[in-house]
Amino acid sequence: MYREKDMEPKSSPDLARHPPDVTYHDSTSRVTRHASRPRIAVYWTGSCGGCDVSFLEVGEAVVEILSHVEIAFWPALVDVKRSDLEALPPGYIDFSLINGVIRTEENYEMAKLLRAKSRYIVAYGACAHLGGVPSLANNWGKEEIFAVVFGPGFRPGSPVGEDNEAQLPDLIRVAVPLEEVVRVDYAVPGCPPPAPLIDRFFGALLSGEMPEPPYVFANVKALCEECPRERHDDRRIERIHRPHEIVPDPKECLLEQGLICLGPVTCGGCDALCPDAGMPCTGCLGPTPEAGDPGAAMLSALASLVRFEDEGEQYFAKEDEALEALADPLGTFYMYSFGKYRRVR
Amino acid sequence: MIEGDGFEPKIVAFLCRWCSYAGADLAGTSRLKYPPNIVPIRVPCSGGVDPAWVLRAFERGADGVLIGGCHPGDCHYISGNYKARRRTVLLKKLLPQVGIEPERLRLEWISATEGQRFARVVTEFVEELKALGPIEASGDALRVTRDGESPAPRGG
Ligand code: SF4
Ligand code: SF4
Ligand code: FES
Repeated sequence: MYREKDMEPKSSPDLARHPPDVTYHDSTSRVTRHASRPRIAVYWTGSCGGCDVSFLEVGEAVVEILSHVEIAFWPALVDVKRSDLEALPPGYIDFSLINGVIRTEENYEMAKLLRAKSRYIVAYGACAHLGGVPSLANNWGKEEIFAVVFGPGFRPGSPVGEDNEAQLPDLIRVAVPLEEVVRVDYAVPGCPPPAPLIDRFFGALLSGEMPEPPYVFANVKALCEECPRERHDDRRIERIHRPHEIVPDPKECLLEQGLICLGPVTCGGCDALCPDAGMPCTGCLGPTPEAGDPGAAMLSALASLVRFEDEGEQYFAKEDEALEALADPLGTFYMYSFGKYRRVR
Repeated sequence: MIEGDGFEPKIVAFLCRWCSYAGADLAGTSRLKYPPNIVPIRVPCSGGVDPAWVLRAFERGADGVLIGGCHPGDCHYISGNYKARRRTVLLKKLLPQVGIEPERLRLEWISATEGQRFARVVTEFVEELKALGPIEASGDALRVTRDGESPAPRGG
């Protein structure tokens, strides 16, 4: 059962740059074995639904993949109820993929329930992994959110319908990533996870050998390492642009062209899909262990890059003007990671 | 917390060892008077102050953060103070988005000989923070009491 006191928010994570125990796709890792036809569950908590749909990213391969697993619970695909899940013995499910942020009492309870019924929990997508877009709402209180979204008079947890037959689950105080309510073994990051990572995950799953948890299916190396765009040695930015304001050169690094690309602080693994298509990286695979707090790291990087032919007092005003063009630092630096990295006083 | 009737702001000060930290020292050895609200942290250069430390200081209960660096042209690492300045500009844009007034972050150039100036900056800053009062952010997430920091449960 959800209790408010269990959810006392913690402070933002420690500044330790290299969490020692987590391994990534490109760091060596030992493997654990599981049954040849693993039982899986897929569940959505505070989710937009995009993660559930993302499995189609791998195309027809999804048919092949699904024929090699047993679906124990997947409300988007098969007709199952919470009571069916409750009836399963503990540890019955091999892998539970949970997408979405933990936002309501029901999310919290379902995460706990799935943890009890599963051998391994997979945080699937940026929301489960880092809090995701919905965790930006942590900037406002519950009451403010209700007032803005549902209008005045709305009461959380209020009965639906005349005869009070159903109660809506209340929001918990803050939207938190999955790892704050249950132990998480794997993360498949992304918003939603891109095809290369889904491939990696199911490749390992169907081979019967998964990396030893805790493990992240993204690269420990930054996205810039795999980006085809050309970078230069003397990098600097004189003007910050938003993506709709310019048509970037097709070959050159986007950051050098003044688009805020989070490539330097973000895990690789997506084959640089966005920069390749002309859109700057917004950081959905999460920060590299090297970067730590993604917003602070990107803010720092940007402060180093924005400068003119020389530095000194005579450039202060020009620098200020250039930096002023950054429209939304919070949304730019913490689009997917606010829930994990910035909270609580 | 410092005892007293009114609100006593807590200031975390990241001071460059070559200038502001020495300036603070000088203020001390010259017996200059300045308010005791400051927690000085010696850093090798203002350019080494990670923005994460600043944000963390606020999240952990600081009412103000002071970064003290060498005057333009005097940084021992040539441009560390310029970088610190640009970071401060960006942080001042970010802070109001999480409910913290930008005035709570201050970057000052204070040289090793400017003990007077150090004392004046701290005195002024404390007055300003007293006028602002404690931080009151709008989000539930930020409204947690400062000492009530208990971690969320981990593990099933
Ligand atoms: S990670 Fe992205 S796609 Fe998945 S639920 Fe969250 S917002 Fe939707
Ligand atoms: S475009 Fe982005 S990801 Fe590619 S090299 Fe530049 S900063 Fe890195
Ligand atoms: S050495 Fe003092 S600010 Fe760089």
